[in-house]
This record gives sequence, structure tokens and C-alpha cells, in this order.
Amino acid sequence: MTLLWNELRTAVSLIAHGDPYLTQVIGFTLQVAAISTAVASAIGVPLGLVIGLGRFRGREALRILANASMGLPPVVVGLVLFLVFVPAGPLGSLHLNATRTGVFVVQSVLALPYTVALTIAAVRALPGGLSEQARMLGAGRAQLATLALREARVGVMAGVIAALATALSEVAAIVIVGGNVYGYDQTLASASLFATNAAMYAEALAIGIVLLALILLLIGGLSLLGQFGGGIRLRLGPSS
Amino acid sequence: MGFLWHQLREAVPLIWGGQGDVMRLGWVTLRLAFVATAIASVIGIPLGCAIGLGRFRGRRVVHAVANASLAVPSVVVGVVVLILLLPQGPLGGLRIEFTLKGVYIAQTLLALPYTVALTAAAVNALPPGLLEQARALGARRGQLARLALREARIGVMAAVIAALGTALSEVGAVVIVGGNIQNHDQTLASAVLQQTTDYTDYPEALAITIVLLVLIGVLMAALTVLGQRNDTLRLRLRTR
Repeated sequence: MTLLWNELRTAVSLIAHGDPYLTQVIGFTLQVAAISTAVASAIGVPLGLVIGLGRFRGREALRILANASMGLPPVVVGLVLFLVFVPAGPLGSLHLNATRTGVFVVQSVLALPYTVALTIAAVRALPGGLSEQARMLGAGRAQLATLALREARVGVMAGVIAALATALSEVAAIVIVGGNVYGYDQTLASASLFATNAAMYAEALAIGIVLLALILLLIGGLSLLGQFGGGIRLRLGPSS
Repeated sequence: MGFLWHQLREAVPLIWGGQGDVMRLGWVTLRLAFVATAIASVIGIPLGCAIGLGRFRGRRVVHAVANASLAVPSVVVGVVVLILLLPQGPLGGLRIEFTLKGVYIAQTLLALPYTVALTAAAVNALPPGLLEQARALGARRGQLARLALREARIGVMAAVIAALGTALSEVGAVVIVGGNIQNHDQTLASAVLQQTTDYTDYPEALAITIVLLVLIGVLMAALTVLGQRNDTLRLRLRTR
């Protein structure tokens, strides 16, 4: 037990004394989470509304595609974006590999399925009569979307929180595209990979503790939402 | 686009050719995913059933903890398991750090929240009258549990498939606990990471990715079929 105990003590003191490396990693992680969730929401929520409310052909296929893309292994997304950003690749001139911007981009792409698919699910779960009635009363498309968004806000927020959660736990894609550069573009999760690889177990534990604290905060937010939603079941993780 | 196309063309023959590495990785990964999910199901489904059906005190708290454990970042599980398994750690006597056996333990722990929480959710979602009636007719605990599992089987199967899916795409915990050692304890997903970041062997990484995507695709199709059956089931219940 002594190893565990010693490492834990060192880990706690790293957190308590505001270790500069740890502070930098926490700051960058929060930045990644905020930017990627904002981008994924700005694109994904309107897209989800269109697919959820629209009455065009192929919307069922789009819905299945959105659900399926939540199950895509992040390592695959990471590899594909990395190859697109390689100097010889189609977007090589952007020089995004091994940069912070690259990490923002890849995490936004990973978060997008969550905001799209969970917005669709939230809109579809609205009572069927609601949007029919609004349509009959002559609501335009924008009015209908606003109405649906207001009524389905709890489900949409759950999608946003799920996007935040993936930003905290994601490793593979961020390591591939970002290169996991020490003190530059590491997130908490990718830094824990680096730390265990370098046998810096106290750092790894400190990172784990901070990550758990952040996730607990999110779960707290989610369960508050769940209570507002009265009976709507919300869960982080896969929505199968 | 020429670059991507070229890499892809080189990747395809590697799936069967090469040194047979890709197919071997696929086999190791499948076995790992199935064994970990099987163990997690044997422990988790009865546990989830007890949480969903039980009328003991604190079951809401236990259910909330099970739901929350779905959101624990896998790297955190990896760090904790590794430190427990290190030679100086409490389970160091087992000597399974940086081996496939250690990875089996980590994957089982990661699959457990899915089988517990999603089984509990599936059982909770059963029409309340059903279980009350069975109780009133004098069903004992074992009978009640069997009835609940039979009625909630689609949800339980979805839980098992979700656990399989995450096991296939898991990177963080596998790399941390196993050390990502080639020809020793790699999975498809962790091998993609190494081939890309350490060896810059993109065709090999793409070949592994293709196999991973095929496996995920099969699981996803199964989930979609289950989901549709679940929909019709719910519809039928509603109209009645």
C-alpha cells in the first residue's frame, strides 16, 4: 500500500500547491472543452433541429447516420484528420498537426455527433401534436424551430453537456493530431497517458483526481437538468 | 486527395498480407472485448437487475452512482489499475503490469458500468404494473428477476453491445495499463495510435482502422436493428 499512499500524497500536494505544469494542462483542457463544445453546439444544434423537425426525404437516414457517428472510434477520427492535415494531405497547407488549433478542430469534430444526435432525439421526443399544431396555426420554419428548441431545451442541454464530457475524457484523437506535446497542447486525459508512460505516477494520479472532480461537476449539472426535465432520463455515455 | 487515395490503396492489401499482423490484432481485440464484456455481464446484469427491481434503502443512490460511473474517463481507470498492479503496489505480487492480463482487468472494469447502469435503466423502464402484478401473484425474487430480464431483454442486449463497442474503441486505459507494446498487448485501437505517432506508418494504421471500422459497423447495425424493434415494441404498448 505504501506506493499508492506515497503517490497519492504527492499528487494531493501537487494539486494543493498549484503545480505550474498541472495548472497549464487544466487551463488548456478547459479551453479545449469550451471551444469545441461551442463550435459543436453552434453547428450541431441547428443541424439537429433541421433533421429532427424537417419533413424532407432521407431524414431517417441522416438520423441513423448521426446516431452511428457517436459510435465512431475517436482513434479513427484522429487518424483521418491527421492524414488530412499532413503536409502532403488535402489541407496540409493549414499546418494544423501538433498545434493547439489542431486539437480544437479534432475535438470539435468529435463533439459534433453528440450535439446533433441528442438534439434530434430531444426534438423527436416532443409530444407529436405540438409541432403539428404550430404548423397548422401558420408558424414559419424559424418560429417552429424556436418553439421546438424552447420545449426540448433540457434534452438539447444534455447533448451539450455530453459534448463537454467527451472533451474531458478524449485521448486518442487528441494525441494523434496534437502530438501530445508536453506543456503545450496536452489535455488532462492525454497528459495522464504521457505521465504514466514517463513513470510519473504522482502526476498521473493528480491528473486523475482533477479529471474526476470536473466530471463530477458535469454530472451534478446533468442531474439538476434531469430534475428540471421531470422524468426525462439523462445519462452521460452512449445513448443507444 | 491524391495523397489520401494513395495511402488507402497501400493499406488495403496489408489487411490480409503484411505479416498477418492486422488480422492477429483483430483477433486479440475481439477476444479481449468479448471476454471483458462476458465477465462484466455476469457480474453486472444481476447487479443491475437488483438495483432496478430492489426496494432496499439507498437504491436511488446506488443507481445514481452506477449512472455516474458511465462518465468516468477511461484514463482514470487506467491510472488506478496500473498503480495497483505495479510491483510495489498492493497487487504487485500478480506481476501482470504491462501485460494483456492487466488489460483484461482494465477492460472488464470499464465494461461494468455499462452492463450495470443500462440493465438497471432497462428494468426501470418496464411498465410498473407488470412487476407489481407478478409480486401480487406471489412471484419470488428469482422468478421476478427472470421475468424482468425476459421483458427487458432488448435493453439488456443493447447494454451488452454498448459495452462491446466501447471495448473495441478503447485506447486510454489499454495504453496506460498495457504500455502499448507491439506484438504483446496491443489492440486494434491502440495499435493505430502507435503506428501513427511512433512509426508514421500510415498505410498500416489505415489497414488496422479498416478492420476496426468493420467490427464497429457490425455492432452498430445490431444496435440499430434492436433499436427499431424496441420502437415497435413501445408503439404497440402505447396503442394498447
